[in-house]
Amino acid sequence: MIETVATVESNLEITPGYRLLTLNFDEEVEARAGQFAMLRARASFEPLLRRALAVYRVAGKRQLSFLYQILGRGTEQLSFVERGGEVEALVPLGNSWPVEMPERSSVEASRRAIVVAGGIGSASVLMLCEELARARIDTQIFFGAASGRVASGCGLEDFRALGLPLTITTDDGSLGERGFVTAPLERHLRDEVSKKSLRGADSTIYACGPWPMMARVNEIAARFDARCLVSLEAPMGCGFGVCVGCVVAVKTDGPLGYASYRRVCTDGTIFSADTIRWEVNAMSH
Amino acid sequence: MTGTVNHDPRLAVEIAGIHFNNPVIGASGTFGYGLEFAELIDLNRIGGFSTKGLSSRPLAGTPPPRIVETHGGMLNAIGLQNIGARAFVEEKLPLLERYDTRIIANVFGYSDEDYIEAITILNDGAGIDAYELNISCPNVKEGGIVIGNSPAAAARLTERARRASTRPLIVKLSPNVTDIAQLARAIVGAGADSLSLINTLVGMSIDIYTRRSRLNYGTGGLSGPAIRPIAVRMVHEVACAVDVPLIGIGGIASVMDALEFIIAGATAIQIGTANYYDPRVTVKVVDGLSEYLDRTDSPNIGSLTGSIIKDQP
Ligand SMILES: Cc1cc2nc3c(=O)[nH]c(=O)nc-3n(C[C@H](O)[C@H](O)[C@H](O)COP(=O)(O)OP(=O)(O)OC[C@H]3O[C@@H](n4cnc5c(N)ncnc54)[C@H](O)[C@@H]3O)c2cc1C
Ligand SMILES: Cc1cc2nc3c(=O)[nH]c(=O)nc-3n(C[C@H](O)[C@H](O)[C@H](O)COP(=O)(O)O)c2cc1C
Repeated sequence: MIETVATVESNLEITPGYRLLTLNFDEEVEARAGQFAMLRARASFEPLLRRALAVYRVAGKRQLSFLYQILGRGTEQLSFVERGGEVEALVPLGNSWPVEMPERSSVEASRRAIVVAGGIGSASVLMLCEELARARIDTQIFFGAASGRVASGCGLEDFRALGLPLTITTDDGSLGERGFVTAPLERHLRDEVSKKSLRGADSTIYACGPWPMMARVNEIAARFDARCLVSLEAPMGCGFGVCVGCVVAVKTDGPLGYASYRRVCTDGTIFSADTIRWEVNAMSH
Repeated sequence: MTGTVNHDPRLAVEIAGIHFNNPVIGASGTFGYGLEFAELIDLNRIGGFSTKGLSSRPLAGTPPPRIVETHGGMLNAIGLQNIGARAFVEEKLPLLERYDTRIIANVFGYSDEDYIEAITILNDGAGIDAYELNISCPNVKEGGIVIGNSPAAAARLTERARRASTRPLIVKLSPNVTDIAQLARAIVGAGADSLSLINTLVGMSIDIYTRRSRLNYGTGGLSGPAIRPIAVRMVHEVACAVDVPLIGIGGIASVMDALEFIIAGATAIQIGTANYYDPRVTVKVVDGLSEYLDRTDSPNIGSLTGSIIKDQP
């Protein structure tokens, strides 16, 4: 974990409201797939708290890029920082996507991965897809966004360039299949399972996106007995475990016990989906 | 780890007989159990830190969302999630032994007995330098009134805690009172060795589309630079009312902020929320204090405590 001031290499608009920020660090940063950074435009008075952004790409030994959606004042401040400008950064944070498959699917032929990206959740899984491809794991990507334009903003071109099987959905039908990304995911698992040779348990689902999407992916995974990992999101105060603000409710045996809440920043952000109490939404909206 | 730090002797302060290498202390709830900062700063360089509030038993805390950013600050309703006094003594304290920094155990409870139980457990812990009593808690036995909002209840608790404690007792004042000087006098009268102030101010923020509070708990504690002028005023008022050393808290994010509190009457200061967005702020403030002494030709930090010049009647 390094705490530093990085300089902006570039801060490019991909589509209106979506940008790619590339930062130069004065030392090497070893960020793994799924990890994140806490960032803030330097010396900006407002807002105070840094914002969490997933490491989109390790662009070089001392260079990281971040794909972000301009949502409110923190991301808007970041969007104003130009080449040569400074960004306060704490990175890398959180755990990372495990690419090793569980024992039960150790048979070479059944190493299968399904990556589900919803909206800007895509930023957390691009490096994962690259790693899966390098490990020669059979990977299917399901990529959902509000519209074709938003899909581009969420890095669709980078996902296409991976050359992996990719299914796109948009809420408005302007690109790919109309509807939610969970519909083709469910069909895919059903088709797979109907082929006698495969069981849902042979697949690992990796998901990152809006809370309701991940809750639904968890239900689908449970139905097909597939292992499911999710990268969760919650407003964060610090990003390194001290404020205990970014918690999610997890299943415990007893009534609300001490272990009922986990910090997204340091206990996650990646959790096994079946441990989460999905009815307790960590987000306020 | 000791011996590697050259402390500026001009920054040393004493509170209730405890020596602090400098007056910069990490505030409770923003500094974890100290260890979380070991990778970010040299813990030997700060005066000390106050732990996350510890209770007699571990606590789960409140459901999310627990925090929301406001202008110049944030609201929190963490519900005092903590590992419990016993786990702190057994699991965290041994790891803190190697640091030359003062450890203040922040304690809370939901009844007087609860506080005493936590203190009794902590009395076993080696390496704790003082207790800080968080009295901004509802007393469940008295219809949930906040102990720290009633001078009588706060004095009674202080007296009992004073008797149970084997260590110096700092009582942390709630700012959610009409007359903080009156509260301070009652608590010092009951035997507190020092006072720290202020805790968070009760606040609320509403999502206008859902028409619900942005915090699951409803209300939350406001902290950060937005509360600083209120905190400085309260430190000043309390400094005029009591003689024990004060620890100033509230929105400190720079050395200038820290100095305001010291000039108003604080012997030491705690930094809270700023640690979240500037994790090395404590060390920066320590360095800044030395520079200020140089620039103003002041002999030591103690000479500035309460040095405010009052021209107004
Ligand atoms: C681990 C992690 C990784 C993330 N990675 C990325 C990423 O790679 N790219 C990206 O664009 N975004 C990412 N996010 C979301 C990003 O942090 C938020 O969009 C950002 O904090 C919003 O800040 P703001 O100041 O722009 O908006 P605010 O003014 O704070 O809020 C505007 C709206 O966003 C909501 N909001 C506040 N905080 C969050 C949050 N943490 N997540 C979602 N909504 C929030 C508020 O309730 C409000 O409705 C990530 C979040 C987490 C926790
Ligand atoms: C998330 C959070 C948790 C806190 N938890 C505690 C606590 O457990 N005990 C306590 O006495 N004060 C607690 N505080 C209060 C701080 O120690 C401090 O008094 C207050 O935040 C004002 O200082 P600041 O503006 O520098 O943050 C907490 C504050 C925050 C923001």
